[in-house]
Amino acid sequence: MFRLSDILAPKTIVRAHCDLPCGVYDPEQARIEAESCYKIIEKMGQNSDPTFTARAIDIKEQRAELAKHHLDVLWHDYFKPEHLEKVPNLHELFWNATKQVSKVKASTDLADARKLLDLIDEVDAAWKATGGQEKTRVARQTA
Amino acid sequence: MSPTIEPGDWLLIDPTIRRWPRRGTIVVIREPDSDVLAIKRVAAGPGDRVNLDAGHLVLGPDEAWLLSDATDAELLAAGLGQPIDSRRYGPVPVDLLVGRAWFRYAPIRRIGPIRPGR
Repeated sequence: MFRLSDILAPKTIVRAHCDLPCGVYDPEQARIEAESCYKIIEKMGQNSDPTFTARAIDIKEQRAELAKHHLDVLWHDYFKPEHLEKVPNLHELFWNATKQVSKVKASTDLADARKLLDLIDEVDAAWKATGGQEKTRVARQTA
Repeated sequence: MSPTIEPGDWLLIDPTIRRWPRRGTIVVIREPDSDVLAIKRVAAGPGDRVNLDAGHLVLGPDEAWLLSDATDAELLAAGLGQPIDSRRYGPVPVDLLVGRAWFRYAPIRRIGPIRPGR
């Protein structure tokens, strides 16, 4: 049996969408994954064993995907419109960095991995220029 | 969006609008990047100037600045972080406008038109 409320109930849910982000951001996360890609490519050049190569390709793709994720989180969640004043090329920088991750995912050229590291270092400079280090990290215990 | 919109409210949405309604109106949008359906208030419309911590920006002819109603104190009390609104994703183009919330038909004690405010 149908109830009136079943007929009238909305079929679509909209959200006010507040969240509880941890608020911790650091390009170092992306850099460590990109360093993994660099080192894996380096080791692939020194080992022609097909099983090793298959494993290396698989792990490199996983690490590249993680690097892309960390860059996306920085781009979408940390950086705000007002940061464009200090980093006018912010969107172009992230566009280039995330495109470069995709390139590294499919590449076995060490130069591609090196270029990705350099782009992440530029992201790091943008993060520091906008106060990211002071605003988003928890200070270490001093000795 | 409390107290204007409470969780569980049943709303009628006007999907025919093609331009940003006036400041203070409650709208449903598709959030940039996530495509989530979200409800926000129009804080500034096309051509308006929005003041930011470090300067200002002027909205384009099809852009609006959308905000949540909750204040920092209310968010803190509710245990929530910063709301996801134009402070997170910037100006919203009119292409992402889904409709204008204009009437609440449930719960019964809160039935009535949703008027622009704030």
